[in-house]
Amino acid sequence: MNSSSKFYGTKIPVVRMLVVMKNLFTIRAFHKSLISLSSSTRHFCCSSSSSASTFAIKNVTKSNFESALNDLRLYVKDADFVAVDLEMTGVTSAPWRESFELDRFDIQYLKVKDSAEKFAAVQFGVCPFRWEPHRQSFVAHPHNFYIFPRQEIKGDDTSYEFLCQTTSINFLAKYQFDFNLCIREGVSYLSRSQEKEALGRLNARYKDRLLDSSSCWREGVDTKLVRVADILFSERLKNKIAEWHDGLLGDRNGASQTWKTSNDSKQQLKTIFFKMRPALDLTGFTSHQLRLIQLVVKNHFEDLVYACVAGESSSQQLIVYADSASDRDLLMKELKDCLCKEAEMKIKAAIGFRHVIDLLSSEKKLIVGHNSFLDIAHIYRKFIGPLPSTAKECVISIQKFFPYIVDTKVLLNASTVCQKILKKSSTSLSKAFALLCPQIASGVKTSGLADKRLVKVEVQVDNKRSLNWNSGAKHEAGYDAFMTGCVFAQACSHLGVDFTLNPSSVDLSHHEKLQEYINLLYLSWINGDIIDLKTGERKTDSICSKGFKAHHSKILFSNTVLLWGFPAKLKASEIRECFCKVFGSSSITFIYHLDKTAVFIQFSKEELVSDFLVLKETLERSNDPISVLHPLSKVLQGGRTRAASYEVYKQICSSTISKVFFADQAEAVGIEWNAKLSKPVLEVERQVDFEASENQLDTDARNETEIVSGIDPPLYMHSPTDELDSLCPAEAQMSK
Amino acid sequence: MLLQRRLLCTQVPKRSIHPTHHQNSNLNNKKWAIKQVTKSNFAETLEEIKTHIFNSDFIAVSLQKTGAFSSPWQKVLPFDTAEVAYLKAKYAAERFQVLQFAVCPFSVKSSKIIAHPYNFHLFPRDELKMGMPSYSFFCQSSYLTAMAQEGFDFNACIYDGISYLSRAQELAAKDRTGNPLPRSYMKPSQSPTVYSVADSMFVDRIKSRIKIWKRTCQDSEKKTEDDLISTLRKIVSGGEVFGSRPSLSIDICSERQVQLILETLQEFTDLVPLLVPAKVGGSQAIRVVLTSSKEDRNVFEKELQLMEEEHNMQVRGFREVVDLISTSQKPVVAHNAINEFAFIHSKFIAPLPSTVDEFRSSLCSVFSHIVDVNHLMREIGPLNKVNNLPAAILYLKRRFTRPLHMEIPQHIDGDEVRVHGRDVLRISELFAKLCLILRIVPESPEADYSTSSSTLECYANVFNPCFISSSDLLDDDVNISTEKTRRISVANLVFLWGFRGMMSARKLKSLLKGSHEVFSGEIDVRLADRNCAIVVFWAPGFAERFLKVMNSGGTNCEPIKDMISEGLRAACYRTYKRVCELSIWEPSLADALEKALEEASDLPEANSEEELPAICWDNDELTNLDDL
Repeated sequence: MNSSSKFYGTKIPVVRMLVVMKNLFTIRAFHKSLISLSSSTRHFCCSSSSSASTFAIKNVTKSNFESALNDLRLYVKDADFVAVDLEMTGVTSAPWRESFELDRFDIQYLKVKDSAEKFAAVQFGVCPFRWEPHRQSFVAHPHNFYIFPRQEIKGDDTSYEFLCQTTSINFLAKYQFDFNLCIREGVSYLSRSQEKEALGRLNARYKDRLLDSSSCWREGVDTKLVRVADILFSERLKNKIAEWHDGLLGDRNGASQTWKTSNDSKQQLKTIFFKMRPALDLTGFTSHQLRLIQLVVKNHFEDLVYACVAGESSSQQLIVYADSASDRDLLMKELKDCLCKEAEMKIKAAIGFRHVIDLLSSEKKLIVGHNSFLDIAHIYRKFIGPLPSTAKECVISIQKFFPYIVDTKVLLNASTVCQKILKKSSTSLSKAFALLCPQIASGVKTSGLADKRLVKVEVQVDNKRSLNWNSGAKHEAGYDAFMTGCVFAQACSHLGVDFTLNPSSVDLSHHEKLQEYINLLYLSWINGDIIDLKTGERKTDSICSKGFKAHHSKILFSNTVLLWGFPAKLKASEIRECFCKVFGSSSITFIYHLDKTAVFIQFSKEELVSDFLVLKETLERSNDPISVLHPLSKVLQGGRTRAASYEVYKQICSSTISKVFFADQAEAVGIEWNAKLSKPVLEVERQVDFEASENQLDTDARNETEIVSGIDPPLYMHSPTDELDSLCPAEAQMSK
Repeated sequence: MLLQRRLLCTQVPKRSIHPTHHQNSNLNNKKWAIKQVTKSNFAETLEEIKTHIFNSDFIAVSLQKTGAFSSPWQKVLPFDTAEVAYLKAKYAAERFQVLQFAVCPFSVKSSKIIAHPYNFHLFPRDELKMGMPSYSFFCQSSYLTAMAQEGFDFNACIYDGISYLSRAQELAAKDRTGNPLPRSYMKPSQSPTVYSVADSMFVDRIKSRIKIWKRTCQDSEKKTEDDLISTLRKIVSGGEVFGSRPSLSIDICSERQVQLILETLQEFTDLVPLLVPAKVGGSQAIRVVLTSSKEDRNVFEKELQLMEEEHNMQVRGFREVVDLISTSQKPVVAHNAINEFAFIHSKFIAPLPSTVDEFRSSLCSVFSHIVDVNHLMREIGPLNKVNNLPAAILYLKRRFTRPLHMEIPQHIDGDEVRVHGRDVLRISELFAKLCLILRIVPESPEADYSTSSSTLECYANVFNPCFISSSDLLDDDVNISTEKTRRISVANLVFLWGFRGMMSARKLKSLLKGSHEVFSGEIDVRLADRNCAIVVFWAPGFAERFLKVMNSGGTNCEPIKDMISEGLRAACYRTYKRVCELSIWEPSLADALEKALEEASDLPEANSEEELPAICWDNDELTNLDDL
C-alpha cells in the first residue's frame, strides 16, 4: 500500500492529528486530480491501441501459484532489485491508534506493531526489476499475489483471526478489489515460527505416543456396543476378518484355500499388500462402522493391526497382518513414521506464499518499498514470527532476513533533484510516479533531451512485453509495486546512478550513491521520524528532514499528562481554563485531544505533572466544600476522570486490546482509578513541525480536533523561552 | 477494461451450490425461494416484508457472522451458567460482524407452514461518515472460507450490502450532526416566553422582515414578471425556494433566538419553520417556508414527514426490519438464541450491558417473545444432543411422522440458486414440528394464535445455556435423569491445569484416582480445552476438600505434592466466572485462569456466601470436548 492510499483510504475519515501535514492536504487535493488523470489515462489506453499496451498484470492465486513461484525464482535471481507492496484489511484498530504528533519514537513503533498484528494482508505485489544492457532498459515482472490467512493445518486458532477496518474495506472496494477471489482462491501461508511450532507439536505427539498409537483414533475409543445393530455388525465383521485371517494362515500352510466373499463385501474388503504385508483395504464404511471394526480388530486379533494411512485423495483404512510380535512392532514403527512424514508434508505444503518471502530473503536482493515500514512489519509478522516488543529488536531482526531495504519515500524527500522535479509537492506514490515517470504513467512519448534522462522500463507478463505498459489499477499491490520500482529506478538515475555505463547489471545494494539512503525507513511519516535499520536508532542527523522544518517545537514528554474519562462535551478550552486557574495562566503549553474522551496536557514545568496528580488525588479523596468548589472539580466531575503520566500512554498502546474510545481502552487495560505516577523517562526533546497546523483546520478536523495553543499573546511576552509561537495561528483560526 | 478484468474474476462459481447437495430436509426438493436483499432492492422489500411480518404468526431469524469464538473454551460450553454464557456471547458479538441476516415471517396452519424467507446482506458502511456503525470488526478465516464455499458473494456484500445504525447510534448521530434539514420540522413549545427589550426588538425586526418578504412573494404570484426582475426581487428579499414553495432563511446566533422566531411565526398560519443544522451542532438558521393555503400547509407537512421517513430509512438502514419485528410483537424464533440476540442487541439496539439480567430485560423491552428451538428440542428428551439443524429435522421426521408441508408463496425471478439464509427455513420448519409435538400451536386452522400464546409463554425468553427445562427451574438439587444428564451445583466443579504435556481425560482421571482419597468417590474428568480439565465431584464437599489440599501444597499427600511441583494448579468455578467477567480472553483457558487468580490475590475475597447456581452435567455432551 503506498502512502497515498494510507492517507487517503484510512486517515482522512478521522483526521484528528494535532498537526496534519501540509502534505496530507495536498495529497488529498491531488488525489482528486489523479483520479481524473487516471481515468483519462484509461481512456487514452483504449482509444490509442498503438502506444500503450494493456495486457493484464500477472495475478497469482492458489491455482497458478506453483508455476508462478517457479518463474518468479528465476526473475528474482536475475533481478537488480525487487519492489514490493501490500494491501491490508486496515491500518488502525482504533481512532486513537492513529499516528499523532505527540507519539514518541517507541510509541510510533507500538502503533505499527498493533496494526501489523491485527490486520491481514490480502494482496502482495512483487515486482523484480532487471537491467538489460543490450536493450538499455529495465525489465519488470509485476506479480499480484492474492493471499488469505486460510487455516490449512491445526494449530493456534487466533492467528487465523484478523481485523477489518470498515473504511479500509470500503477503500479496497472502491478500487474494485476482488474479495471473492481473495477468500476463495487466495494463497495461504505459514510463518517461520508457525511452521516451527507445528513441527514441534508433531514431534511431541509422535514421541509421546506409545507404540499402540498407530491408530488414528484417539484413545477414548472404547465405544460400548449398545445398539443391536452394532453388535450384529461387529459380529459379522469379526467373522469376515477371521475368515480372511484364517485364509492367510491357510495359504502359508500350503493349503489352496481361497477366501470367498460375497460380491458386495468384496467391494468393501479388498486384499492388498501394505509394506510387504497382506492387508485388507476397508472402503465404503461409515466412520462409526470403522470405529466398530477397529474395536473388533483390537479385541479379537492379536496379529492384525488396524491402520489409517494417507492415500492419494483421502485416507485409507487398513487391517494389516503382522506375523510376529517383532514384526508387529516394526509395522507400528513404519506406520508411525509414515504418519509423521505425512503430517510433515502437510505442514510443508501449508507454507504457501511464504516461499516468496523466503526467496526474497535468501537471494538477499535489494527490496524497494514506498513508505514501507508498515509493509515490512506485516511481512515480519505474517511470514517470520511475532514482532519483538521494541523497534530496535525488530529492525535488527528484519536486517537478518532483508539486509538491503530502500524506501522511495525517503529517497524522494532526501534528494534535491527529485524534490525539484516533484516541485515540492507530495511524495505520494502515484503522484511521484506521474511526475518522475511520465512516459510510463501516461504513455506520452517525450522526445529529445528530456527523454534521455528517463529510465526505460519494459514490462513482461508471461510472454507479452511492452515498453509503456499501464494497467492503471491503482491500489492494486502488484501495480503499486511496479510504480514503486519505476520511481526508484528513475530516482537512482537522478541521483547519478548511471545504468548505461555498466556492461552488466549494477550492484545497487552497494552503490556509493545510494549508501546514505539504504536501510532507512520512516517509522512514522507524520512525525518524519526515520529509523536506521542497521542500528535500530532514530536517525537524528536526518538527511530527509527537508520536508520537515520551519518552526520547530519541543514536545517534552515528561511534562505531559494524559487525562481521560472527563465529562463528555468538555472542550479543550474549558479544560485549559480550569487548569490555568489552579496552576497559573502560563502553566499549560498545550492541550491536545486524542479523541473525544482523552486529552494530552503539556505543562510548562515538569514539577506541575506530579503537582497535578497529587492534587487530583487529594481532591478526589476529600469531600469537603473546598474540593467541590475547586476549579478542577469541573474536570473531575462524574468521578471517572483519570490522569496519568506519559509512560502510562505507552502501556495502554502496548496492550492488544483495542477499544474504539481511549477512555474505554484505558479501563480495559486495567489502569487503576488513579494511575500511579511512574517515573517518566526523560526522552530527548523531539522536534515537531507545528507550521503545518495552519492547514489542519479543514472541515473534517474542525469537528474532531480542538486545539488550544499554548500561549495567550500577552503572556507570550513573559515566556520568551517558549517556542510554541507557531501555534498561535491555529488558535486564531479556531476562535473564528 | 481494467474494470472488466476484475469483474471477470468476480463471478461467483455456481456449480458447488446446487440444492441437491444439501440433504436432510424436504426443502431440498424445491427451489430455495429465499429473496436475497441488498441495498438496491431494500426499499421495495421493506414494504413487502412489512405486510408479511404483520400477517404472520411467527418470525424466524438467523444470522451469518464473520466469526464466533476465538478458542475452544470461549464458546458456550455445557457447564456454563447463564451469566458465563452471556459474557461469552457478548464478547463474540462485540468483536464479530453480521454479514447476512435472514428473516422469515411464517404461519403454521394445520399441516402447512407458510413462509416468506428473506436474506438481507449487510455491511457496516459508514454512510454518515462518523465512524458508525462499526469502526472495525474481526473475521475468522474459517468462517469466511465456509461462506465462500457456499457461494457467498463477498463483493456484492461489501459493495452493495445494507448498512444500519443501532438505536443508540442513531441517537448519538442526531446529537452530533444536529437535525438534518428535512427532519427538523418542528412545533414551537407552548409556554409563552417573557420578552426582554432586546427580545422584543428582535421579534419586531423579524416580524417586519417576514411581512415584507411575504408581501413580495404574494405580489409576484399575482403579476407575471420578468425572470430577471423576479430573481432580483428574490435576492433583495433574501428569499429562496424550498421545493416549489418560496422560503426565507433567517440566520440565528442562539437557541434563544430560535425560540423567539418560532413563537413569532405562530401568528402566521401559512408559514412552516424548518431548522437548518449547523455543522458543529445546534442550528445556524431557520428556514421559513410559505404555503399558499391551509390545505397546502397540510400537504407540505405531509411531504416533510415523508422526507423525514426517507432520511430515517437511510440512517437506520436494515434496522428498519428489526424495528418492524419489534413493533409487530410477534414471537421471534431462533436457534441458539443467546448468541443470536447478543449480536442483534449490540448491532441494532445498543451496546451490550454487563450482566445477563440487564441484557434480558433490555431485550424483552424490544422483543416480547423469543423462542429458542434449541430449548424446545430439549423438551423432547432424546433430542437434547442434537445441536445441528438438519440433523434435528431428520430426527423429528423419523420419530414423528406427521407430514408438514412447507409452502413458500413468494416468487423469485431469475434462475439463480438462492441458498443463502436457508437456516431460517430450517428453523421455521423445526419450530413448526416441535410446536405440533409439544402442542403449542393450535392444530385447527380456525383457532388463532392468541389462544396458544400462553402455552408458548413458558418456552419464551429462556437463555439458560444448560437448558434446564422450565418446570425444573424451581427445584434446586434434583437429578434430572433424562438419558445421562444430571444436575450439579457448580460448587462441585474444579478446573485443573498444568499437568504434563497433552493428556487425555481418561489418563488424567486414572492419574487423579490414585493420588488422593477425595478422588475415590465418583468423579468425572473432561477436558475444557487442550490443557485445562474440569473435574466433577459428585459427592458434595469433596471439591472443597480437594482445593484445600491443593492450597496447602499437597501436604500429607505425596502424589499431589509431586503433581503440584510439576505445575498442577486448580481453581474453583468462581475463578472461571471471574475470567469471563474481567474479559481475560486468553487463547488458553489455563492462562486465563492463572491471570484471574493473580488478579484475585490483589482483591479481598469476594463474598463467598454468594449462592452458587447449578448446571446440567451431560456426560455425552462433553465427550466431544476431547476432540478439541
